[in-house]
Amino acid sequence: MIPNPLLLTIIIPLLSGILIFCVPKKLEGARSGLLVLANLAGLILAIILFKQSFTYTLPGIAPGLELSFRLYQFSAFMLLATSLFGVLIALYSVVFMQGKKLVSQFYAYFLFSIALTNGAFLADNLLVLLFFWEGLLVLLFGMIAIGNKDAFKTATKAFIIVGVTDLCMMLGIALTGHLAGTLVISKISLTLSPLANLAFILLMIGAISKAGAMPFHSWIPDAAIDSPLPFMSLIPAALEKLLGIYFLARISLDLFRLTVNSGLSTLLMIVGGATIILAVMMALIQKDYKRLLSYHAISQAGYMILGIGTAVPIGIIGGLFHMINHALYKSCLFLTSGAVEKQAGTTNLEKLGGLARKMPITFICFVVTACAISGVWPFNGFFSKELVYDGALERGWIFYFVAVAGSFFTAASFLKLGHAAFIGKISSENGKVKEAHISMLIPMIAIALICTFFGVFNQWPLNNLIQPILGAERLEGHNFSGFPTNTMLVIITFVVLILAILNHLYGLKKKGSGLHALDHIRYFPVVSNIYDLAEKGFFDPYNWGLGLVNVISRISFGVDKGINWVYDSLSPKLAYGFSSGIRKLHTGNYSVYLAWAIVGMLVIFGLLLR
Amino acid sequence: MCASLILIPFISVLILNLPIKGMKRLAFGLAALLFLLQMVAVLIPDAAFWKINHSFCAGIFNFELGADILSKVVLFCIGMVSLVTLFSALTFVKDSDEKFNFINILLIAVCGMNAVAMAKDIFSLYVFLEVVAVSSFILIAFNRDMPGLEGAFKYIVLSGVATVLMIAGIALLVLIAGSTNFSLIHYMLIAQNKSLIVSLAIGLFIVALFIKSGLMPFHGWLPDVYTSAPAPASVLLAGIITKVAGVYALIRIVVSMLGFSASIQSILLFVGAVSVILGALAALTQSDFKRMLSYSSISQVGYIILGLGSGSVLGIAGAAFHIFNHASFKSLLFINSAAVESRLGSRDIDKMGGLAKQMPLTSLTSVIGSLSCAGIPPLAGFWSKLMIIIALWLVGFKGYAVIAVLGSILTLAYFLTLQRKVFFGKPSDEFKDIKEAGFSLMFPAIALAVLIVAAGLLAPWLLKGFILGFVPIIGG
Amino acid sequence: MFLDILILILLVSAALWTVMCRSLLRSAIGLALTSAILTLMIFKMNAPLAAVFELSVCAGLIPVLFISVISLTQAMTKQEVIEHMKSRLARFWGLPLVIIILGLVLGLLSIKFKAKLPLSEVETDPRLVMWHLRQLDLLGQIIILFTGVFGVVVLFKERKKSG
Repeated sequence: MIPNPLLLTIIIPLLSGILIFCVPKKLEGARSGLLVLANLAGLILAIILFKQSFTYTLPGIAPGLELSFRLYQFSAFMLLATSLFGVLIALYSVVFMQGKKLVSQFYAYFLFSIALTNGAFLADNLLVLLFFWEGLLVLLFGMIAIGNKDAFKTATKAFIIVGVTDLCMMLGIALTGHLAGTLVISKISLTLSPLANLAFILLMIGAISKAGAMPFHSWIPDAAIDSPLPFMSLIPAALEKLLGIYFLARISLDLFRLTVNSGLSTLLMIVGGATIILAVMMALIQKDYKRLLSYHAISQAGYMILGIGTAVPIGIIGGLFHMINHALYKSCLFLTSGAVEKQAGTTNLEKLGGLARKMPITFICFVVTACAISGVWPFNGFFSKELVYDGALERGWIFYFVAVAGSFFTAASFLKLGHAAFIGKISSENGKVKEAHISMLIPMIAIALICTFFGVFNQWPLNNLIQPILGAERLEGHNFSGFPTNTMLVIITFVVLILAILNHLYGLKKKGSGLHALDHIRYFPVVSNIYDLAEKGFFDPYNWGLGLVNVISRISFGVDKGINWVYDSLSPKLAYGFSSGIRKLHTGNYSVYLAWAIVGMLVIFGLLLR
Repeated sequence: MCASLILIPFISVLILNLPIKGMKRLAFGLAALLFLLQMVAVLIPDAAFWKINHSFCAGIFNFELGADILSKVVLFCIGMVSLVTLFSALTFVKDSDEKFNFINILLIAVCGMNAVAMAKDIFSLYVFLEVVAVSSFILIAFNRDMPGLEGAFKYIVLSGVATVLMIAGIALLVLIAGSTNFSLIHYMLIAQNKSLIVSLAIGLFIVALFIKSGLMPFHGWLPDVYTSAPAPASVLLAGIITKVAGVYALIRIVVSMLGFSASIQSILLFVGAVSVILGALAALTQSDFKRMLSYSSISQVGYIILGLGSGSVLGIAGAAFHIFNHASFKSLLFINSAAVESRLGSRDIDKMGGLAKQMPLTSLTSVIGSLSCAGIPPLAGFWSKLMIIIALWLVGFKGYAVIAVLGSILTLAYFLTLQRKVFFGKPSDEFKDIKEAGFSLMFPAIALAVLIVAAGLLAPWLLKGFILGFVPIIGG
Repeated sequence: MFLDILILILLVSAALWTVMCRSLLRSAIGLALTSAILTLMIFKMNAPLAAVFELSVCAGLIPVLFISVISLTQAMTKQEVIEHMKSRLARFWGLPLVIIILGLVLGLLSIKFKAKLPLSEVETDPRLVMWHLRQLDLLGQIIILFTGVFGVVVLFKERKKSG
């Protein structure tokens, strides 16, 4: 009996992952082969399933709980994207992970993550979704924890942050189920009411925390340093973004009909805008390749949230398009950082420089994807950002302004990054650096090509992948493919990009080094104070949370001590007090004993005669 | 045949006392055999033994006796505890004449208890309670030392009070019902309106049996008597005599004669709960090994009465099971205390410590006994307490169920104290040369420990049938 | 009626004396006296057999046992007797008062026992009752007597040995 193809997408990676655990350590080739093959199988399956749509319900395990899975436009697309990233990053990690510790654990977690992500995409029941979602939480912990020696702390941080938000989501699911009377996603369609708003916000917290938006982001930069690199490019850059934005889109499009004039839409836009600007400001000052990228991963999530939050078709399409674009270029960027790390032995920008000549292909891939993220025509990032800008402008100039400002800083920080890492003087340590291994290059090249393709021929992805998600009815006859129609916005974008270049040149002239080209922003009055605080982790909600937990734990410690006192001290004392009292009553005097008996007898007569 | 359980021990005593040479040596074996047979007879419910009619003495005797499952539980316990007492007497009663006398009195006590367990007539019950009482006086005073005599005297006095109350109650009941048969009185009591005289009679009877069971606040005699009696006598007293003479008789009277009414139930529950809690609290700070055990007895009897007070089949089955459990673990613990006393010559637990090394078996068996008493699964005591607590909860006496649970915690507390002070902790140099107690104390201890564990492990399979056996008695 | 009350008062006084008098020996005699008065009462209530038993066992046998045991104890010195007297009085001075008050209260309350008593049974020959209807009780009583004797023998034999 062949299981349903939908189940296969979950079962194949799951079984392969288990199998990887069983493969002996010496057969590294077999393990790597298994990883790549399993992902390839997933990709083929996803391609076969693409454009199909059907629902499959697992035979009931518990009455009232339908384990249903649904394949349709959106989930098929996500499935495809997941498996594509799976294949590419698998190929990459096979080389990257060579000679590292705990490889088989990483591979297994990799495959489990793919399986669970697929499951989450396909789930048509909130409980099923939650199951896969929480599974990913555990894997997240496991994958970060197998990194370097600080990784465990970071893993704990990630686990706590995501765990708390998942808890919110769990509450949200319960509330939604209560309001809708069912947990089947395709049957839920709630109108907004105060309670529904609460449910939405709870679900939203889960979704945007998965996508890595502020204020649930603070584990990502830490993880960038501590965890194995393919993890970064797979999970926070690709899968979690896809998953988070997918779920955000689902809740704001299907579960709840988010309207333009609802406060929730504004809330989402504020979260998105804040994420864009704050994270990119942090990215500006980073001196580590991976850490810088991770802040951008956060910042870009802001665009998607902003786009979806606009609740106008163009914004939503932009957000969704940005999601897939971002997943593409950000994972590629992480891959380049991995290539640099593997070859040069470090990702610290102070020690890097002039790698363009040594690693030309990596450099080209970096340039392409950096342009994409900065929104340079004709790469994919340009088109999706334009759509988001358009949507944001429709809702208010302030959001547009924030988005454009974000774009400025993004461009600026990538100029700095590229300059510091690839151009400039070759530092003495990097003298013998060579180009990366071919199987690390293939994924990068492939993704860079896709980025270009999605940009130049943006009609194809928009028409085939993105716009069907919203459906013809919601699009109201618009077609957002092709070159942006709003010329004004395009011009502003170009101006901003040019400004970013000018700014970079100014900084370069002032400081004489690509790495420090943005120091004039860093040390701008007032801003510098804020940065100082930020670097100390003052704005990290996790630290606030830790402080709060500390206070709570101190209070509960006091309460616990009190309770302990009741148990350990008071009760025994009372018991012993009573006991010795009773003991003193037993004097051995017989008339006293008789007297008790007589009193007892009288009481009993009283009771009987009552 | 029920009557033989009374006649055979008594006739054995008569025969043993015939002036024939060598008879005295037979006594131990004969008594052991009788007790063993009694246990076996109970364990085989369909044995021909129970079905033989009074064929051989039908013409001479006409006894009104009957054994239902409640009686059988008690009969089994009587056999068991008496056997244990018999063995422990080997250690404590050295002189052969003395031993012979002890066995004689033990046999008479057993004869009396058997009759109590099977009596269907209120006056017979009374008479045989006196048999038991008189033989226990002698047993308590057996060593003729000062504390023993004092204990015996205290027992005589309060037992005498109980007797007076009981005979007065019987007189009133006969006046009302015109009969002494349980079931006839039961019908007459139902027919009577709730009159003063009926209440008076019931009250007198119940109070008398409370005194005999040693329930708070009628317990004054109990700790003194248990403590001052010689070791084997306290095993017998704590293990079975007060259970038969007081608790069983109370259950029998309430179940077969008085029936459950709100006021009787509330009295039972109240007295039971008070005994459970105050008994356990009092046990907490005792420093005398046996005295602690005797307060524990009060507390455990409280549980039995709580089970009875629930008035349901489950509760009464639990009470009966707890009688068995109490007989097993309390005689085990008294045997342990006897073992410690025989080696150390003292019962002051404050001065002991670290005996687990010197007396590993005693220590182990006492841990089993204590845990069973505290109601720790899977030992037997757990199941009976559970049954009682569930019964209380189901009937709706939730407060009493909570008290029962609390009492269980207190029980654990004082037994842990006991174990820590006696067997664990620092071994003192004083007791370096102490050896394990002799065979005659260790054999019953081990046998009882095995029985407790086995009963606990088998309980889940046996309990259903056991509980169903009580349905006809309650007549639900 | 008058006779009944007189006997009752006598009974209570004898019982009080039994409890309160200073010497154990006199107490034992007081007990016998109380039983004897009780016998009178039972006899007057048309239960001659019970009266005979009461007289023989409670007024006869038991005090004899008591007295024989008491005779084995050591007599107190005069000083001890005085001390004992005092403590005894201190303990029991209220007893007559309590009894009188209790009697008055119970008498004045005129409690009504709302019981429907069954018809009194047909007089049967006590011998018949004993041997045919109450065999078990008879056996029990025999055992009690036997045990009592046995116990006395057991407890006293040793006494003689060591004494």
